[in-house]
Parts: sequence; C-alpha cells; structure tokens
Amino acid sequence: MFQTNTKSFLQFTFLILLQAFLLNNVNLFGFLNPYIYLLFFITYRFDNNPTLLILIGFVMGFLLDLLSQGAGGHMIASLAIAFLRPYIIQFSFGVNSDISTGMLRGTSLSNRLLYLALMVFIHHLILFIVVYFNLKSISVIFKYTFFTTIFSFILLWISLSFFKTRHD
Amino acid sequence: MRQIFNALLKYKNTSLFLGLLFISLLILNQRSFYHKSVFSEIGLGISSNFYGVSKGVSEYLNLRKTNVDLVKENNKLKALELIYFQNQVLKQKTLDTFDFEVLSTKIIKNSFNKANNYLIINKGYEDGVTNDMGVISADGIIGIINQVQAHHSSVISILHQDIKVNVSFKKNGAYGTLSWPGIHPKKMSLDDISTINSISVGDTIVTGGMSAYFPFGIPIGVVSKFVQPKTEGYYQIEVDLFSNLTQKEFAYVIKNKNLDEIKKLTSDVSN
Repeated sequence: MFQTNTKSFLQFTFLILLQAFLLNNVNLFGFLNPYIYLLFFITYRFDNNPTLLILIGFVMGFLLDLLSQGAGGHMIASLAIAFLRPYIIQFSFGVNSDISTGMLRGTSLSNRLLYLALMVFIHHLILFIVVYFNLKSISVIFKYTFFTTIFSFILLWISLSFFKTRHD
Repeated sequence: MRQIFNALLKYKNTSLFLGLLFISLLILNQRSFYHKSVFSEIGLGISSNFYGVSKGVSEYLNLRKTNVDLVKENNKLKALELIYFQNQVLKQKTLDTFDFEVLSTKIIKNSFNKANNYLIINKGYEDGVTNDMGVISADGIIGIINQVQAHHSSVISILHQDIKVNVSFKKNGAYGTLSWPGIHPKKMSLDDISTINSISVGDTIVTGGMSAYFPFGIPIGVVSKFVQPKTEGYYQIEVDLFSNLTQKEFAYVIKNKNLDEIKKLTSDVSN
C-alpha cells in the first residue's frame, strides 16, 4: 500500500513536471501540445478511491495551471475527467470494469482503445471549451480538440506500452 | 439528520466535484480577465432580464399615471402645433407681400452671336407673362421680356446693345449701369461708377434695386479688370458674367407686382 502510494506520488510529480516544462512547449504544427499527464488518470487503479482521485485531479490541474500560466483550463478539465472516469470505465469495459488494472491487461483491445479515446477526447474538449469560453469559437474548439486528441492519443498509447512491459 | 448524512455519503463524489468545480470557476474568474468579462457578461444578461420583468410589472401598475402624463404632454404639443400653424400663415403672408412673383420657364431658342440677341421662352400671356418682366437663370440674369404671345414670349437678352441694367457692387452698394459691348458673350462693361468708390478686381456685382425689372441682390458677375482715369471721373470696368448665356435651358420669369404703379409714377414725374 505504502509502495503503491509512493509510486503514485512520484508518477504524479513526474507527469506534472514533464507536462509543464517539456510537453507544453512542443507546439507541433504551431498549435498541437499533447497532454500526457492524463496518463495518471488513465492508469489509476480502477478499484482505488474515486473521491481521492477527484481531489488529486483538482490539485493536479491547479498546479499545472500555475506552472503553465493557464487560467484554469487544466484545473476544470482534469477535475471533470476524474469525476467522469467511473462512468467512462463503466461504458467502455462493461462487465469487465471490475478488473482493477483493466487498462493494462486482462481486457480486450477494442475496450481499451475506446476507454483511452473517450478519456482523451472528453478531457480535451472540456479543456478547450474552458480556454476559449465562447460560443463563437466553437469551430476552433472542435478543430483543436480533434487534432490534439489524435496527437495525445498516439503518445499515450506508446507510453502505456512502456507501462505494460515494466509491469510484466 | 442521519438521512442527510447518508445522502451526502451517497453523493459524496458528485458533491465534491461540484464544490471543487465552483472553486475552480472562482479561481478562473480571479486569474483570467477574459473569463471574468465573460462571467460578468452572463451576469449582466441574467440581471437585465430579471430587471426587464420587474420593470414590465411596475410599468403595468403605473399605466394610469402614465396616461395622465401623456394627456398633459398632448395638450402642450397641441398648443405648439397651433402656434406652428399660425406661423405658417404668417410665412404665407410674407410670400404674398414680396413684390416679385416667380414663374419657371424653358428657353426654346437662344442666340448670342449677333450684335443684338433675343431669346424665346415657352410661356406667354396665358401664363401671366407680360411685357417688361425680368428673366433670370439659376446663376444670373438673362434679359427682359419685350413681346408676348399666347404661349411664347421673346426676351431681349442682356447681350443686346440697347439694354442697360442697373447693378451695384455687393460690397459697398455703389451702383452703375451694365451693358454689353457686343464682343464676347461673357464680358460686360460697367459704367457710371464714380472714382470716389474704391473697387478692386474680383468684386462681386449684383443687380441693383433701382431697376423695376429685377429684385435687388441677384449675383451677376465679378470685376475682371478696370481702368482708373487720370483725373476724377468714372471707371471703365469690365465684368465677367457668372452665367454662361450660351448654354441655358431653363429660366425664371420675374413679375414685379408693382410695375404698373412704378411706371405710372415715372410718367407722372416726367410729365
């Protein structure tokens, strides 16, 4: 238990620093930044306390906004994704949603892909809605959401395969 | 109490999420000027709608008082309207007391290249035109009617060596006689201006009030050059007309209502 918490804490710190100081400056094609810190929410054990995850999501987003001079987009987006995560798991894995490390092993590939895509898309959509916060910018919001989702999705999928080999 | 706790425990994730979301929105409002403005816009929209509803209610309740006020205002406006009508009548009276009447007409034939030029206009005695009426255009004078038919009249142009028009300087009122030397359709000569008046090139010449044909003050032209005699006497002045008499289509006949009186007086005096 202690080991798991320490591991989570290190993961948390590492992902924030990586996101704030490296990945927020990628600017692929001028505007694409992958949001890899979602990895924390994705790999968080399904049977861990969801209330704690909501608090962690809030703190993580808040720290990210502080470090990247954001207004509050990460805060609201990660808070929302932490809150919505159980429902997304339920929807993606169905009867297999009680497998605690479902994202890494024990579930079918299509379920995992659906879970990852939904997590990334919903998070990015909320993030860009909060950043632009204007109905007139709806086309820009969807454009950014779409392309950033693709980019983040690819990077997250690659990172998850690292997790898998290390755990195995 | 227990039920409340149970409900809180049951929905602890949701309530925690909503509470944190509220805090997030507060932080967002604090940190970003843009989001702050959007929030205040939304707030303004809500409150203005609310005020709109309450205003509608209070307006309905105040309709009786509003009606009374409107009746008062109507009374005031009615009085103003009556004053306005009275002034209209006065204006009409002013028009009626003006000595000249104006009648628009069209020039059918125009000549300007002879020593003595005439024009023909399409208004005759059936339109009220009689001899010795003045004819002007939009930018100067044209001539004087000398023959009248039923629907047409002939006009002695000011480009006629027998016609002499009483004119004066706009700046000081010194008056003289304008006539046409018969050379150029825009050059006139101005005589009888005494050298005790100071004049200069560019002075505006207007019709003088001494004429029974034209009302005072119609602009005619400007002084283009003048010769000052060595001894005392009269200037020789050349005047450039404003109007180009070679390109005229429309004119106005001016009827002096008191022409008969003036003529009678003149003949009485000379007799």
